[in-house]
Amino acid sequence: MNKFWQNLKSILVKDRRMMMFSIIRGLAAILIALGVGAIFIFLTIYINTDDKSQTFSKGLEALKYMLIGPLFTTKAGVVSFNTMNFYQILAAMIPTIFTGLAVCVMFSANQFNLAGEGVCMTGGFVAALCGIYLSTGTALDPFICIIVAAVVGGVIMLIPAFLKVKIGASEMVTTLMLNYVLMYLILHFLNFNFADRSKGSTQTYAFAESARIPALVEGGSKLNWGFVVALVFVVIIALFMFRTRWGYSIRMIGINQSFSQYSGMKVGSAIVLSQVIGGVLSGIGGGIEVLGRYSTFLWKELPGYGWTGVTIAILAKNNPIFVPFAALFMAYLNKGCMLMSTYCDIPSEMIDIIQAAIFLFFAAEQFLSKYRQKLVVKSAKEELAHIAKGGAENA
Amino acid sequence: MLERLWEMVFKADFLFVMIRITAPILFAALGAVIAEKAGVCNIGLEGTMMISALFGFLIAYWTQSWIIGVLGAVAVGVLLGLMMGFFGIKLKTDIILAGIAVNMLGGGGTIFLLYMFTGMRGNTGNLVTPNILIPTVNIPLISKIPVLGEIVSGHSVLTYVAFLFVFLMWVLLYKTSLGLNIRAVGESPNAASSVGVSVNKMKYIALAISGAMAGFGGAFMSMYYAQGWNSGMVAGRGFIALAAQAMGRGEPVGAMLSSLLFGFAQALATKASALGYSSFLVSMIPYAFTIIGLVIYAWSTVNKVKKHRKLKIRE
Repeated sequence: MNKFWQNLKSILVKDRRMMMFSIIRGLAAILIALGVGAIFIFLTIYINTDDKSQTFSKGLEALKYMLIGPLFTTKAGVVSFNTMNFYQILAAMIPTIFTGLAVCVMFSANQFNLAGEGVCMTGGFVAALCGIYLSTGTALDPFICIIVAAVVGGVIMLIPAFLKVKIGASEMVTTLMLNYVLMYLILHFLNFNFADRSKGSTQTYAFAESARIPALVEGGSKLNWGFVVALVFVVIIALFMFRTRWGYSIRMIGINQSFSQYSGMKVGSAIVLSQVIGGVLSGIGGGIEVLGRYSTFLWKELPGYGWTGVTIAILAKNNPIFVPFAALFMAYLNKGCMLMSTYCDIPSEMIDIIQAAIFLFFAAEQFLSKYRQKLVVKSAKEELAHIAKGGAENA
Repeated sequence: MLERLWEMVFKADFLFVMIRITAPILFAALGAVIAEKAGVCNIGLEGTMMISALFGFLIAYWTQSWIIGVLGAVAVGVLLGLMMGFFGIKLKTDIILAGIAVNMLGGGGTIFLLYMFTGMRGNTGNLVTPNILIPTVNIPLISKIPVLGEIVSGHSVLTYVAFLFVFLMWVLLYKTSLGLNIRAVGESPNAASSVGVSVNKMKYIALAISGAMAGFGGAFMSMYYAQGWNSGMVAGRGFIALAAQAMGRGEPVGAMLSSLLFGFAQALATKASALGYSSFLVSMIPYAFTIIGLVIYAWSTVNKVKKHRKLKIRE
């Protein structure tokens, strides 16, 4: 019995070491990404201001807005917590949690389906149309709208999924094209069939008051009940992926498709299922975003949540439980870049450069591999020493 | 209205426009071909085109020479290819994710870089001067031939280069030892490495050439086609190129034929919008066309495999 506990302890120690390594590696990747961002900020200021001596102080100010600006504001030397910004960050997480979950499920099955972007926009459009034309005037409205958006999202994803399974067409290329097709179709219908001509810009009629998703906190932060729904979905998807047969086969297919096939899993069905779930989630995300944030549908281009979803899935290592944290990080960073763009005249597209760096380093298996090697060797040596000691005692 | 559209299609100027539109897709498609031959799916072509389009234009503006601009764009393309290689091969980032990262740099990153270097937002507007645009060429004898001359002559230098590269790419892949090694690495990395071919080196080379092709495509876009750089300029051409590669069975000539098909679809779209069709539906044509094309291609391959199997069973 004693030996069992000792073994368990050594396993735990080893695991903790590996976990620490993952955390350190993740932080290092994020730090490098932010460092790259900082270099570009300083360069931008250096090139675009005449008084070069101010580069450093201006750069520090920009970094301050980007990194601590989202939560803390300094007024006359007093630092205070900015509740409004905090709510806005939480609100910005709503659609990206859904697209992040969608990408998690699809990438887990090794399906590089990138249509989250287009399906998210379609979900928003469909939900808005339901809110305008199918409104029952009761509290059921949001549910009906979102369910329709989810179904439409799932049905759209059947296209790339079936093309992949039945005839082997690369889901990546078809979904990249599908994004453009969906966007132009929506813009066509928006402009020629559903536009409210009395308004200056192209938008639909306002959807029924009952269809709007009620706010969670007062005061225009756009934080609505969708946030709670998003967290519920995190739990649902986590349970699905780790506690059901289908979730298991989706993950197994991602690890080794041939093995899954030979061990009798329904590979085709699981691939289709993973993408349909991705479509449903993206559709819900778009629907909730439109019904929770706006009063009409007015997107004129792809909203970008699908790509943020890919970043979030990578940060979360395809694990649904980590999705909210990754979404929080991205929302925080986005808010920071917005503030920096407002106050320091540095384009908010900075976030794309940081995202790209995160992509490259965070997903790099061999990043810091030498350090990991050292840890593995250390653990192995300890284990050997432990066994040798145990052997001596037994003898 | 459809009849008028068909009338337009069979005119010389339509074919001229079609060739013009095909060229950048063809460059990128050749880039996709060589990467795929080495077993790498280069989804970063789109972003590479955007970034090299920006730098090609800026370098041309700074030096007031279109040749240096084009070379700069190609150099940037090669660097991006090598960067993808470094992360994908050395650090083992999934190459598709590395490609998406390049696309992000191409999407928002270029807007940032443009502001960083020039203080301008979103497009290069008034920086264009005749010096930095790629010149057009009238081919001496052919330009005199009535219809053919109108179609073939008067394109930019790079347009001819694009079609020349189809041949050169074929030579590279099938008539040189480098091409043989690249193909071997793509078909069976283990077999290639067992006879002493460095798998990683071949992948690096393929990605570098792939990036160079996208660099040419980018230079074509900003220094000839759009006459200046703007943020929505490439508009999925890099992705369409991936589809062209798949439909062209991964061969240079096949990729050229399918690029011409996409050029046709896009030229048709421009004509149709001139006739008053919904501009949104018209803009959709090339992308929808790509999906349909991929489906037909994949379906035909599946059928072929099935027939092949049936024949084998009978024997």
